[in-house]
Amino acid sequence: MKTKGYKAFASLRAGVVATVAAALVITPLAVANSAEVPTFGKACTSEGVSTGQKTTSLICQQNSGGKLTWQRVRLGGSYAAPAAALTPPKGTIEFHHWRGEDKVVLQSIIDKFEARYPGTKINQVIMTSGDYGNLALTKISANPKAAVFVTMRGGQFNNFYKAGLLKDLTTQRYAKQNFIQSALTPGTVDGRIYGLPYQSLFNNPIYNAEMFAKNGWKVPTTWSQTLALCKTIKAAGYIPFAWPGATRGNAGQILNAFMMNSAPYATVLKNATDIDTGKSDLTNDWFTGIAKQYKQMADAGCFPPNPTGYTDTVAPADFAAGKAAIYPTGTFGMSSVTKLNPDMKGKMKIFGLITTDSKPYFEGITNNTFILSVNAKASSTDQKIANAFISYLATAPIAQEYAVGTSQHVSVIDVDYSANVDLLNTSDIMGKKLLLAPRFLFLNQGVVRDKLEDALIAIVGGADITKTLTDTSKIIKQGLGA
Amino acid sequence: MLMALPAFAIYSFLYLYPSVSNLWNSTKRWDGVLPPEFIGARNFTYLATNDDLFLKVLGNNIRFALVVVVLQTSFSLLFATFLLKNTKTTIFLRVVYFFPTILSSVSVGLIWLFLYNPNYGLINAAAKKVGLMNDPGVNWLGDGRYALYAIAITQVWFHTGQMVVIYVAGLQQIPAELYEAAEVDGASRWQQFKSITWPMALPTTAVVVAYTTIQSFRAFDLVYAMTQGGPNNASDVLVTLIYNTAFASFKFGYASAQSVLLVVMVLLITWLQRRTLRVNYGDK
Repeated sequence: MKTKGYKAFASLRAGVVATVAAALVITPLAVANSAEVPTFGKACTSEGVSTGQKTTSLICQQNSGGKLTWQRVRLGGSYAAPAAALTPPKGTIEFHHWRGEDKVVLQSIIDKFEARYPGTKINQVIMTSGDYGNLALTKISANPKAAVFVTMRGGQFNNFYKAGLLKDLTTQRYAKQNFIQSALTPGTVDGRIYGLPYQSLFNNPIYNAEMFAKNGWKVPTTWSQTLALCKTIKAAGYIPFAWPGATRGNAGQILNAFMMNSAPYATVLKNATDIDTGKSDLTNDWFTGIAKQYKQMADAGCFPPNPTGYTDTVAPADFAAGKAAIYPTGTFGMSSVTKLNPDMKGKMKIFGLITTDSKPYFEGITNNTFILSVNAKASSTDQKIANAFISYLATAPIAQEYAVGTSQHVSVIDVDYSANVDLLNTSDIMGKKLLLAPRFLFLNQGVVRDKLEDALIAIVGGADITKTLTDTSKIIKQGLGA
Repeated sequence: MLMALPAFAIYSFLYLYPSVSNLWNSTKRWDGVLPPEFIGARNFTYLATNDDLFLKVLGNNIRFALVVVVLQTSFSLLFATFLLKNTKTTIFLRVVYFFPTILSSVSVGLIWLFLYNPNYGLINAAAKKVGLMNDPGVNWLGDGRYALYAIAITQVWFHTGQMVVIYVAGLQQIPAELYEAAEVDGASRWQQFKSITWPMALPTTAVVVAYTTIQSFRAFDLVYAMTQGGPNNASDVLVTLIYNTAFASFKFGYASAQSVLLVVMVLLITWLQRRTLRVNYGDK
């Protein structure tokens, strides 16, 4: 079974759709330069920055004369006006997800939902993302009370679909009218909608703009510039990239960037699929090239001391404390940083990690995930509650509350991010040519993706490239054959 | 006989059925989603002939068990000999040593994760302070050469107190007259230990070693909390491997086969230990 999301990868256009469309078509956000008041038709300075996802929202784009001006955001995704939330029956269900850091904001939303519909209750059940990836299928398939849950894009969503746990939501008005259409791809199978990706993530490095400005550092746009910047930052006494090499999941985020410009997209897709199915080894030129670039970064001092022991607890703390210049995991980490140090609010910006000195194929990474679904094995009443809850989450004011409260961009239309300066300041990435996170092309997480990401981490830690890739290839092939 | 039936029923439901079910699952190819397919002994033959990772992790687990068994048994016996008398101080110290045992294993893992942090952790900072280490310090959990042993040390710290209590109980059964007679004969403390304490403590040692071995082979929580088996499987042990095979790779049948082998190995090792430490209980 291949989902539509999977098949879409086969087309280079899909990446463009998921990027430019997700960005321009509906987009959010904000004002990179706080002194610049977005006014329709007036000049602007940061291409791609937009004020939100409303019909009245503005985006900074080139006009026909080639000048950057504030223009209307095009909301091309919706079929009609957004649908209102559905009314649920009385009852209690569970909402399973992995975003512990969103618990408070989600509980506030749930409280409002419950107050609006007395007699209906939603209980959050939260696991860490690692545990969720491993255990959610087993737990939810045995628990019909888990009527609403989320899945991660790629392998997990596919497994839930194969297990028959995803209720078809195609006919729900809110599914088609409240979401950015291009963002629906990861939750769609053969034209049917089984899940609604709630978050629009940007898995690109976040940098301390104040630190950059103070030290006169420029955001790198080529591989050589990136390596040179690492040396400069390190020489200034800072950690260049607060890369959490001890935590595979977040350490793997930069793999997206290494893959996106390693070859034309069709080649990336083929190479990744070949490795994922055991037709090819990690020792091929493509993956060896990626591994060598990891080593180059390590040699240039891009990573912290003892990178393989550097956890994703320490990484955001160092970034928040001003010890590190760049936090390379993505926008989803911004809320953790501002919780650690509220002074970081407004100081974070984003850039695409470019790993080539030639013209890049893509300028950054996006990901549509946190895919909301209704449990097909829940009772009819519980399914109705779940459906109503998702429709409630898909209304603009609620999605906005979630987005602003958690510093996460969302896939719901008509959302205004202007109340969160960090969302505003990272909005310019949406105007760039983005690729849907390609590390999820490795669908065999345990056997393939985890192993190859471990190998790359080991290489950063000083392991020999050839031996590590050879040994890991053998393990992967044996794992696939088991 | 009838009196034993309720207990047997509970045992059957909670232990026997899952064990037999696991054995049956080990003969299947099953991803936990689609219907399982019967494949006979193929999972076992593949494990024995084609799974380098399993062998590597088995080696890890044996090294882990050796370190833990030797250190935990030695320390607990040593501490127990000092804490044998029932004075206020020794009772207090027994409580102190036992205290880590009541902590949550995940909490212990996270605390030691901070202690081992190569850049900010207490261990490296202290070692650097006294000149035992230079920058960038030892990457305890991020370097494959050290990670497994670092976790083993944590495991020893975590469970030694528990074994001290067992040893104290065992050593207190040794008749005081033996030591009195030895002292009259002029035996030194070491001679008393070698000729009285150690042989008389063998039954307790057998229990401690068997228990620690089993504990080491079913280690999971500390490893998962501290390294998740990394870096690059360097600290993976059998149970974390089985967990990942089942829940990250969705190979439930294969994971069942791995767990069957784990049980067989633990039984075998425990039996060998019992033979090695064969103790005369009076009826052999």
